[in-house]
Amino acid sequence: MRNHASAWRDFVQGRTGFTFARASLYGFFVLAVVSWLYILVGADSGFGDLLSSRAWNNAGGFLRQLLGLEDGLTGEGRPAFLQLDRWGETGRLAYETLMMSVLAIGLAGLGVLLTFLPAARNVSNGELGGRPSAVMGAIYHVLRIFFAFTRAVPELVWAMVIVFFLSPGILPGAIALALHNYGIVGKLSAEVVENMDPGPARALRSAGAGNLQMLAYGIIPQSMPHFLTYLLYRWEVVIRTTVVVGFVSAGGLGREFRLSLSFFQYTDVALIILWYLILVLGVDLISAFLRRMVRTG
Amino acid sequence: MIWTGNPKIRSLARFFEARWFLSIVLVGVFLWSLTGVDWNGSIVHSGGGSSFKDFSLGLFPPELSPGFMKLAIIASWQTVVHAVAGMTLAVIIGLPLGVVASGSLGNPSRSRLAIAVVVRFVLAFMRSIHELVWAVLFVAAFGLSSLAAVMAIAVPYAGMLGRIYSEVLNDVPEGPLDGLRSAGGSSFSVLVYGRMPMAITDMLSYSFYRFECAIRAAAIMSFVGIRGLGFEIQLSLNDLLFGEVWTLLFFLFGLVLLVDYWSTRVRRSLDS
Repeated sequence: MRNHASAWRDFVQGRTGFTFARASLYGFFVLAVVSWLYILVGADSGFGDLLSSRAWNNAGGFLRQLLGLEDGLTGEGRPAFLQLDRWGETGRLAYETLMMSVLAIGLAGLGVLLTFLPAARNVSNGELGGRPSAVMGAIYHVLRIFFAFTRAVPELVWAMVIVFFLSPGILPGAIALALHNYGIVGKLSAEVVENMDPGPARALRSAGAGNLQMLAYGIIPQSMPHFLTYLLYRWEVVIRTTVVVGFVSAGGLGREFRLSLSFFQYTDVALIILWYLILVLGVDLISAFLRRMVRTG
Repeated sequence: MIWTGNPKIRSLARFFEARWFLSIVLVGVFLWSLTGVDWNGSIVHSGGGSSFKDFSLGLFPPELSPGFMKLAIIASWQTVVHAVAGMTLAVIIGLPLGVVASGSLGNPSRSRLAIAVVVRFVLAFMRSIHELVWAVLFVAAFGLSSLAAVMAIAVPYAGMLGRIYSEVLNDVPEGPLDGLRSAGGSSFSVLVYGRMPMAITDMLSYSFYRFECAIRAAAIMSFVGIRGLGFEIQLSLNDLLFGEVWTLLFFLFGLVLLVDYWSTRVRRSLDS
């Protein structure tokens, strides 16, 4: 337990322990000043427009059209979110989006289940059974680099690449989401195995358990709850990102969002955002419920 | 619980609590999601196979000419600039909102609690919407500019930071605060001299973690036309120059690794 108050004092007075964090903080301040100067001095930052009333009138007009208080260019009449059949149509897309998010997190989970063991250092070096070998060591490093790479590239960039190969639909978007989250959950799950309490595994080993038994009784029971919790947390993020990936992969709400926006059908945009918020809220609630089940079950 | 008397229902409850039941549900849901894919149609579109081959071959070697490297470095810089600007604005918005949401300012009263609940709701709304959806909306409202990208990062990130700040501020031990209160400190001085010093390490630590995510967010702002790594990736993809795509992906990888390393070291230094 560290002492917060004295840590703060050290921080203010620039004493021990905090030097790297302090330097980083100052470094970040310098970076922030340079960045803001770069943006504000740059030709067309847009911040100058904030002083003009025209920009705010445009923004206000957009907001009013979003809320259906003002007819846009299309003059569509009654706002889409006041029509029941439009709720149904958009709801089908929301259903598709939900499916895409589940598919994405399922694929990511499947990938992690297949690879997280050799990506844990204490498995690859034979601490938890098996025989240490150069091949296992190499697999460990390759997997760790693969995790880092898939996680560094955002979902949307993966989607941009994948639509080059796969037909539009929910699959390319789901694979893009799965790749990014595979890297995140994979790293976290491997670390769970690395930080595992070695006691039970050692006890099993000394009782003569084989490798498979070590896995079934020593490693899986300890790491599974963490794995599921991470997966459920990521699902909450994935549902937010599914719409964005849909922009390029043509699945679910995302495509409709872009189309409505480019046709200036702003009340449709509002309806899509409403469904989006319902999805986000629903997934947050379900995930919280399932995570409690994982903890207590 | 009321049904504990009935053994039949009790075993049913135990069944529902069992982990393997959960596993069956999760596998079932995954199988349901598979039905959303049109397996009968072509999964890989015509020409998809050959473009996959071209894309893979683009890695050997990636585009490494000095001119392109210069372009990639400039694009990385533009990405960093937007991430940093968005992040600073997020902290500026998120900190006061987080303080209000924690309900630690002002006299304890019902109205203060009501304000805290409203602010918490606003924070939840801000972070519910993905940064790129915010970006599309800001571009529609204010036009295409750096402003839209910076705001699009700042709004959802302020929502996340505000929530975490308020939780951290509430989680500090009460003992030292009581000392300040009994010495006659106002709620403001309790906040500044009591809560903040105890919470600052966790707040900084989380902010640096978020900075890492902001880099990725800034990279995808290309989608609404903001220059940066994502923008160049899109251009190179459109021109089918896969070697260039790989180079840019590696630059993004390097950038994220660098910030990841930085934020990990900061957090380790703060935790010690």
